[in-house]
Amino acid sequence: MIRSLRVRLMLAAAVLAVLFMLALLPALQKAFSLALQESIEQRLASDVTTLISAARIENGQLQMPALLPDERFNLPYTGLLGYIFDRAGQLVWQSRATAAQNINYQPRYDGRGNEFARIHQANGEEFFVYDVEIKLLGGKSAAFSIVALQPVRDYQRTLDGLREKLYLGFGAALLALLALLWAGLTWGLRSLRRLSRELDDLESGARDGLSTHHPRELLRLTGSLNRLLQSEREQRQRYRDSLDDLAHSLKTPLAVLQGVGESLQQHNGEREQARVLQSQIERMSQQIDYQLQRASLRKSGLVRHSVVLRPLLDSLCSTLAKVYRDKHVDVTLQVPDQARVPMEQGALLELLGNLLENAYRLSLGQIRVSLFREAGRLTLCIEDDGPGVPANQRQRILERGERLDSQHPGQGIGLAVVKDIIDSYDAELSLDDSALGGAAFRITFNLE
Amino acid sequence: MKLLVVEDEALLRHHLYTRLGESGHVVEAVANAEEALYQAEQYHFDLAVVDLGLPGISGLELITRLRNQAKTFPILILTARGNWQDKVEGLAAGADDYLVKPFQFEELEARLNALLRRSSGFTQSTIAAGPLVLDLNRKQATLDEQPLGLTAYEYRILEYLMRHHQQVVAKDRLMEQLYPGDEERDPNVIEVLIGRLRRKLEGECGFKPIDTVRGLGYLFTERCR
Repeated sequence: MIRSLRVRLMLAAAVLAVLFMLALLPALQKAFSLALQESIEQRLASDVTTLISAARIENGQLQMPALLPDERFNLPYTGLLGYIFDRAGQLVWQSRATAAQNINYQPRYDGRGNEFARIHQANGEEFFVYDVEIKLLGGKSAAFSIVALQPVRDYQRTLDGLREKLYLGFGAALLALLALLWAGLTWGLRSLRRLSRELDDLESGARDGLSTHHPRELLRLTGSLNRLLQSEREQRQRYRDSLDDLAHSLKTPLAVLQGVGESLQQHNGEREQARVLQSQIERMSQQIDYQLQRASLRKSGLVRHSVVLRPLLDSLCSTLAKVYRDKHVDVTLQVPDQARVPMEQGALLELLGNLLENAYRLSLGQIRVSLFREAGRLTLCIEDDGPGVPANQRQRILERGERLDSQHPGQGIGLAVVKDIIDSYDAELSLDDSALGGAAFRITFNLE
Repeated sequence: MKLLVVEDEALLRHHLYTRLGESGHVVEAVANAEEALYQAEQYHFDLAVVDLGLPGISGLELITRLRNQAKTFPILILTARGNWQDKVEGLAAGADDYLVKPFQFEELEARLNALLRRSSGFTQSTIAAGPLVLDLNRKQATLDEQPLGLTAYEYRILEYLMRHHQQVVAKDRLMEQLYPGDEERDPNVIEVLIGRLRRKLEGECGFKPIDTVRGLGYLFTERCR
């Protein structure tokens, strides 16, 4: 299966051109050989006329001059042979050039006038023959067959030369045609290549939509795609805005309720009721956070996002450094400046924010973030020098995302959101010991 | 301490106003950024609590404007969404900490105290000057390890002076620590309070850390740690 459009078109065009030329070649050769034979016939006819005009009848006998006006009859090996036969087919004269030849030709004096033919000799040689029957010569009655011959050899050589030239010419024409076709296709497909480049930019987030400078045939497609992209973007934005509004309108009342609960506890001593109220408020709040973040941070389908990691890490670290400034945490970033992570900015920010805050909260003073790539996999690793996570609890912690829906009030939703985001991007989250002494969270993206 | 609370939800605003007042702060609680900007223009605040989801001018914009006006007091943001985009933007705009709604008041208070401590250069929850030690969490003063019986107003004045030790503090500034902006003020109250404080501090050990700088205000002369 050939996947390239250009190669397919080139192959089809090349096959067509070759077939066309193969059909054209014999027709051309045939036409040329006919034209050549005709010209040979005319020449032989004029040679015969030369013989006729040189011939005389004296005393009923044929008289030929010793030298003929056409030199070719006089010299051997010129290829032009002249013979005169009487009515009975007896050779009565032959030109000098025939000395070296022994031609087996028998004319038939049958009143048909002129005849042009091709004869075969026993030795395999072939000749064109022009045979003219005459009845009168110089006003006297005479019945002769006057014959001029020419070897087919020369004709064949010309024909072979022509065939060779035709093949060469057609080959060169084919090559030129294919080169022009390639150039034409390149020109024609340039817009497809540009479209593909624009799509790359689009997927990488470098542009918002496709340009309108495409050929008419593609405009419908790019127009539809742009509309689709636009509507997806708008829908996503609307969705996020409504989720934000929802968060605000649900959580502010919860904050009020929380305050009411605290007042109850403080002023009326309703300790138990207040505790129940507060745990329920916390649970609702976590559910809201979790479900809203989950809804807004999952991967979007159309555009393949990728984000430069470094600036995001820098801004998060400066935020956290401000919040945890009393702690004096030393953060080491082992991340190449331009390295990208195949995620949407918002999702990556939440993911990193949650993991880094965890690390800041638990570390004693050292955090390391590293990004490395090996064998088609990209691994982002966040380590701290805190207490770490005991091996028997790791699985439970990583599974918390799935179980948060049903239980575990009081636990932060950070890791649940992290897990959810990572799942939606088909990445993997693992947790083990860090060389720094604490926990190491590893996120692995499969790049293939 | 004088705090500015900017929260559009009336009940929550009232709750914060009441609870922070109970904790010994003077609170100005406003519903929008315009009012907050006006208050910040008029009075000297020690800290602001700003909700990010304000109507009109957003909380983020308010923080940016406050910082552009060279207001250096710490700002704690309240966010309903709790996402990192908000936190990063808020802190980049000039806030110092964040709290996600709903929150327990104790947590808010702990964060506010940490910010206040930090802004006056103290990292411990106590301020000490010679024999005098102030416990910022318990709002108690001890002199030679003996509890000092201070009224709430006296404590506020003392804490403010100690936080701004070795700086001249204007009488008006101390007044703001006692009353919200629109309340009737009697300038003699400060003189009376300072007089009572001096007597209590002098006590038996003769500790005299508060000087009067005529025409300017008061000066806590001891170095605080």
